[in-house]
Amino acid sequence: MSIFSIGLSGLNAARNALYVASNNISNVNTPGYNREVVMLSEKGAGRGVQVADIQRQFNRYVAQQLNAANSRTSGLEAYHGQVSQIDNLLADQDAGLAPLMQNFFSAVGDLAAHPSDPAARQGVVGNANTLAAQFRSFDRYLSDMTDGVNGQLHDQVTQINNLTGQIAHMNRQVALAKAKVGKAPNSLLNQRDHLVAELARHVDINATVQDNGTYNISIGNGQPLVSGNRHFKLETLRSDADPTRIAIGYHDSGGNLIELTDETFSGGTLGGLLKFRDQSLIPTRNKLGQLAASFAAGINQVQTAGVDIEGNAGQAMFAVGQPRVYSNARNTGTASMSASFGDISQLTSSDYTLQVTDAATGTFKVTRIGTRQSFTATLDAGNQLHLAGVTLTVANPAQLADGDTFELQPTRAAAGGMDNLIQDGSLIAAASTSGGSGNNENALALEKLQRQDLVGGAATVSQAYASLVGDVGNQTSTVQVNLKAQQGLSDQLTKVQQSQSGVSLDEEAANLIRYQHYYQANAQVIQAGASILDTILRLR
Amino acid sequence: MRVSTRTLYALSTRSMNNQRSQLLHLSQQIASGRRVVRPSDDPQAASRAVQVSQAQAVNQQYTATRVSARNALSMEENVLGGVSDAVISARTLILEAANGTLSDADRASVASQLEGIFHTLVGQANATDGNGRYLFGGYQNNAKPFVTDPVTGDITYAGGNQTRRLRVDASRLMSVGNTGAEVFEGAQGTHGFLAVADSGNGGSVTFKGPNVVDTTDPGYGTPFTVRFGIDAGGNATYEITDGAGTTLQAAQAYTPGQSIEYAGLSMQLDGKPVAGDTLAVDQAKNFNTNLFKTFEKALAALKSPVQDEADRARLRNTLDNTLSKFDNNLDNILMVRAKVGSRLNELDVVDKVAGNRKINYAQTKSNLVDLDYVQAAAEYSMRMVGLQAAQKSFVSMKGLSLFNYM
Repeated sequence: MSIFSIGLSGLNAARNALYVASNNISNVNTPGYNREVVMLSEKGAGRGVQVADIQRQFNRYVAQQLNAANSRTSGLEAYHGQVSQIDNLLADQDAGLAPLMQNFFSAVGDLAAHPSDPAARQGVVGNANTLAAQFRSFDRYLSDMTDGVNGQLHDQVTQINNLTGQIAHMNRQVALAKAKVGKAPNSLLNQRDHLVAELARHVDINATVQDNGTYNISIGNGQPLVSGNRHFKLETLRSDADPTRIAIGYHDSGGNLIELTDETFSGGTLGGLLKFRDQSLIPTRNKLGQLAASFAAGINQVQTAGVDIEGNAGQAMFAVGQPRVYSNARNTGTASMSASFGDISQLTSSDYTLQVTDAATGTFKVTRIGTRQSFTATLDAGNQLHLAGVTLTVANPAQLADGDTFELQPTRAAAGGMDNLIQDGSLIAAASTSGGSGNNENALALEKLQRQDLVGGAATVSQAYASLVGDVGNQTSTVQVNLKAQQGLSDQLTKVQQSQSGVSLDEEAANLIRYQHYYQANAQVIQAGASILDTILRLR
Repeated sequence: MRVSTRTLYALSTRSMNNQRSQLLHLSQQIASGRRVVRPSDDPQAASRAVQVSQAQAVNQQYTATRVSARNALSMEENVLGGVSDAVISARTLILEAANGTLSDADRASVASQLEGIFHTLVGQANATDGNGRYLFGGYQNNAKPFVTDPVTGDITYAGGNQTRRLRVDASRLMSVGNTGAEVFEGAQGTHGFLAVADSGNGGSVTFKGPNVVDTTDPGYGTPFTVRFGIDAGGNATYEITDGAGTTLQAAQAYTPGQSIEYAGLSMQLDGKPVAGDTLAVDQAKNFNTNLFKTFEKALAALKSPVQDEADRARLRNTLDNTLSKFDNNLDNILMVRAKVGSRLNELDVVDKVAGNRKINYAQTKSNLVDLDYVQAAAEYSMRMVGLQAAQKSFVSMKGLSLFNYM
């Protein structure tokens, strides 16, 4: 064995090691890059050294843990980003609904003191206008947020489809490379793992590695998003139960588009957005609607019990959006329902699903969305159901079919439709039915409403608003705390992952020095070989 | 443990970010002066602050209502002061006119003075507040409460019989006025019973009283009529009947100057009756209690000439009645005035309580959401040190690279 070839193998190995070190250094900031390590081995007995492998420092289990943690973190980030906007909306104590309701009632108090004063009457009208406008603008803010969430859901779905497409493509590339050279290049694997990590931020996934090295990725209940080199797309669609709600649909292998429930997604930005919509946005909007409807009904009841300045019976003061009920798009029957407010004190801020359990008798199973409590309700002689402060009328019960469902949203639209119907101050019913320009009994009754439990029969309007503020504050602060904890977990796992796969410049600098010396030493070996050869050649 | 270069940078930047966001939060708190900037900063406090604000607003609203109530009551108090002064002057004039030595002309002059007072009183009764609303109109405060009949000249009350009440505190609805009927038609006071001589009496019977002597008499409080007659001997008699003429006590001889006693009341009678003269006795409230009608009657009596004993007796009876009625009206007016005064006092008390409440609410709200500046400032400088330390350590760490030594 020649000293030259041994030296040469060393030079070779040293150069390779230097390449790896420089590659590590150059990729120190590359996202998804995993540090590489040169594995040297003996070439054989006394035949020098060889590069056995350039190993990618990647721990699948740590990566999976980190992906799962990041998925939860980005879900909470999305939730937090949204719910903070409601939190901010309620932050301004001077511009919120509470002071405007207070102003309204103090204008009514003023009216009680001066029942025939046109200025006092106009004061009530003006405050009623401002209050109604503020209810609408609050609702508009929340409805704009709903639109924003819908738009973001669409973007998320697009990005998820892109990523799953790329992962499927990478699966194919990896398989091809394996078939060709028996081993996939590290850079390809890095890219694929990076795509999976990216995907996990958008949606919580379950990734499994097949024996042939391809990744299979599924969501929720096991619906595959990537299977080998195929990928299955998600799509945003109008929910069957409520056409105004955007839901996530799934194209299965048979080409069918299936609506997935929101609960399918628990993590990732997509899951965070859906959770925000279902647990914070809709409840807040419903509570606002409940407040608006209860307030309006209370005022209208007193207003219509009195007489205006001309002695005419008082008219309703506030209009609010009526309850909404939707027939499920998949219903087999063609019955339609309409809804209107009933006993307002029974009104809740929940939505309800009504399922026909017996079409012949008009029996429904009513489930409260959110708490999942359910009870049975049967159509009365007028084809009506009275539940949760709403009166539902079935136009033609013969068209009901077993299993049909309807979704009832009692208060979702209430605040958005709030309006002050009285623009002429003289129409305010300050007097009781006995009339008289100095009669202020009804104004006193109106003023007293602020201390009555108008909302759900259990809270004053101001208490209901306070509880709305408290709820949003609690939700936001809970998400904040969870996010902080989850962020810590993500950070911790990132540290672990980086300790294995991350590049340390100090370490690489040491490697550079080491391998430079290694190279120089091997060059010296060749030099030594040459001088030995010279010595021998000089022997004459 | 291996520490990758990225981890080093990431950790430093994260720590600086955290410090910075906490600083930002503190500076928001300091700038707004509030510990709870957003509901999420302290949901319970934010929620309670909404309710405390509501309590504050309501307290404020009642304070404003009390201002209205005080205005209305003070105005009424002023008017009632004028009214009682006027009635006292009128009473003095009547006493003057009762002096038997006055001539018809003297009485006419008294009558014209009395008429002046009368018109002042009518004006007071129809007084308006600053907004042109009639003070004593009750619910019908947009029209004159006391209207003069264009034909008879009678003044009657046409206002409402309910008065406006205001909520001056959470659990106190306070009347902020009195109806004209309550003020000018109320009969209260010392003269619980009155006797009124029939205007058609032809004799010269006058009376003193009636005075209450026995409240336990079974007939006490029921009206009766003293009816005079002349018996077969040409002597004057009197009997007591009820309103319909049914005899309650048989006819007895009448002597001028005698006292009669019936139903717990005693009256001293004087003068000569003619047959058919009557005196009606009843509780004062059952006779006319309208102050203006009393004035009208007194004026009419003063203006009519006195030619004989019967006229003189009629004048005297009318003036006596007028005095009793004025007394009753005056007592009533003073009582109304006292009630108004006590309500004004009550407003002062409630104001004081509300003032304390206002301070309490402000204190509670401040405790809930306001910032402790000292603590915040201390924390701010502490965080500042933290951030600077993080920045320094980042900069020095940056220099710690093996590459620097190659």
